[in-house]
Amino acid sequence: MESLQLLLDGFAAALTPVNLMYALVGVTLGTLVGVLPGIGPAMTVALLLPITFTVPPASAFIMFAGIYYGGMYGGSTTSILLNTPGESASMITALEGNKMARRGRAAQALATAAIGSFVAGSIATALLVVAAPAVVSFAIAFGPEDYFALAVMAFTAVSSVLSRSVVRGLASLGLGLVIGLVGIDQQTGQARLTLGIPQLLDGIDVVIVAVGLFALGEALYVASRLRHAPPEVVPVGRAWMGRADWRRSWAPWLRGTALGFPFGALPGGGAEIPTFLSYAAERRLARGTAREEFGKGAIEGVAGPEAANNASAAGTLVPLLTLGLPTSATAAIMLAAFQQYGLQPGPQLFDHNPALVWGMIASLFIGNTMLLVLNLPLAPLWARVLRVPRPYLYAGIVLFAALGVYALNGTVVDLFVLYVLGLLGYAMRRFGLPVAPAVIGMILGPMAEIQLRRALAIGAGDVTVLVKSPVAVVLLVLSLLALLMPLFRKLSARRKPPARSTSEQESR
Amino acid sequence: MAGRWRPELGLAVVVLALGVLVVIGTLDVSAAASQLGLGPRFFPMLVGGAMVLIGLFYVVDVLRGGHGDPEESEDVDVDAPADWRGVGLVSGIFLAFAALLNVLGWIIGASLLFFGLSVVLGAEHKLRAAVVSVVMGLATYLLFVEVLGVTLPAGPLAGVI
Repeated sequence: MESLQLLLDGFAAALTPVNLMYALVGVTLGTLVGVLPGIGPAMTVALLLPITFTVPPASAFIMFAGIYYGGMYGGSTTSILLNTPGESASMITALEGNKMARRGRAAQALATAAIGSFVAGSIATALLVVAAPAVVSFAIAFGPEDYFALAVMAFTAVSSVLSRSVVRGLASLGLGLVIGLVGIDQQTGQARLTLGIPQLLDGIDVVIVAVGLFALGEALYVASRLRHAPPEVVPVGRAWMGRADWRRSWAPWLRGTALGFPFGALPGGGAEIPTFLSYAAERRLARGTAREEFGKGAIEGVAGPEAANNASAAGTLVPLLTLGLPTSATAAIMLAAFQQYGLQPGPQLFDHNPALVWGMIASLFIGNTMLLVLNLPLAPLWARVLRVPRPYLYAGIVLFAALGVYALNGTVVDLFVLYVLGLLGYAMRRFGLPVAPAVIGMILGPMAEIQLRRALAIGAGDVTVLVKSPVAVVLLVLSLLALLMPLFRKLSARRKPPARSTSEQESR
Repeated sequence: MAGRWRPELGLAVVVLALGVLVVIGTLDVSAAASQLGLGPRFFPMLVGGAMVLIGLFYVVDVLRGGHGDPEESEDVDVDAPADWRGVGLVSGIFLAFAALLNVLGWIIGASLLFFGLSVVLGAEHKLRAAVVSVVMGLATYLLFVEVLGVTLPAGPLAGVI
């Protein structure tokens, strides 16, 4: 029970007044950006990356973890109270949650989402405490070829799962990899793809890429097809729920947690699949009144997916901390934050910086509790935030994007780079390219290259070194399967009569 | 094969062209210092080559009538036709802001940026938008420069604030 002792030390570090303040700032900010449409935790962490120069690492990661968890809480408020479907992870919650709200049960929907998120977040963080040391002791023997294979698997899984079309996922990944290549080669000092522009020698900053793809890209996209009807927010009081709601919620919470945690830990798993699976499971398991209510606002359909959503966020932290492997856009940005401190997540991090890692994990428990307090009584406040007039919201997002990017180096050149990346982000949204593979490719690409070159240097040019270890072989086979799976799906679909012809698609 | 022009073809061609550019650009990189293991050229060549391949598949997919689903988002009406005027105006305002920032300073520049964007995005009450814009410009300057110590251009208001 060594990890328990370390966790207690972590609590001691996280419970200092300064770190409690950072946790509170993190969860408040996280809930805010989670509630507001158009921005999310990934972009918020990216915008806050520059502060990593002035804040000690433990405090910064306590805040970032708070933003990540807070974003998950905030997202549920939006999908329950707003009449428009949001992004895929929260769309499932909207299915039943918004219907509950319209039937006057908004308070109960918000309560089961918040309490479920708390329960799932706490259990999943406890699972993280158990799983992380186990993964670390397994991964301590990993060689560079294993890390390269891990990166390849993250690339292929995230590209093929997040998009309906593999080619679009891979195109997004490739765009990210190319952006990551720009700058000086770390091993030989050669300038690559800088087009002779001196400002590009240091590479394109993660902040500019993330803010461009997320913030400016979203603002341009919204400008192109703004929903002109004002947002219809269901009014709500303090979130609470009665005895019957508790009885109907606890089992979906636990089932959602069981689905969310492992999927979050898998490359390409993310939050979408487990929330959907949880919804499907609850719908199937529903009996009696619950069965009749499904489709009209069943509390089980909110409780399960919301728990899965939060558990997957904790699951994401397992590969991030133990292997340095990001499986979501936010995790990728957090990895970049580690790098800014000169830290490399992985087995060594647990050895060299136990105070930092366990302080962060302990702060997840604390942040989760803060979020519960923040979300139950303050629900009406968050509902009011949702009414922010959209012109001001998006103007503000662009303003903060410009501020964050200009403040990096104090040059307007970065603002023009930001605009180009914003256009790219717009095009990717418009044509259905997922953004996460690009962010993961950009941040993980250079690391994959280093591991590849290291492995081949050890093998003295012998390529078979890449498949020498069984772990690497398994990972590479899985990557191949991730790429080929959609092909198989297409082939088996072709054998059956086509449900829907592809020529009916209109040109938009 | 659908013969008509599809806007998505533009993005697919960009992916393809970027792959070609990466390969060509990498040819300039001197391959010195690579006696042991791989030089600085190998990985970019790999990425560039893969991008060319992906780009080709993407172009073919678009030509054969495949298309991605526009991303869904709370404030986006996916079925609405693209409003090019909005995109153009937002782009123009942002680029003008970037070009003039050092002349106007943050407070004036950011206020104009906010005002322009909010009006383009549909703020009906112009006077209120103007007030909000000035407040935003001033508040961000005071918060980030005076409290957090970030450097932002002061512009003509340098002596006043």
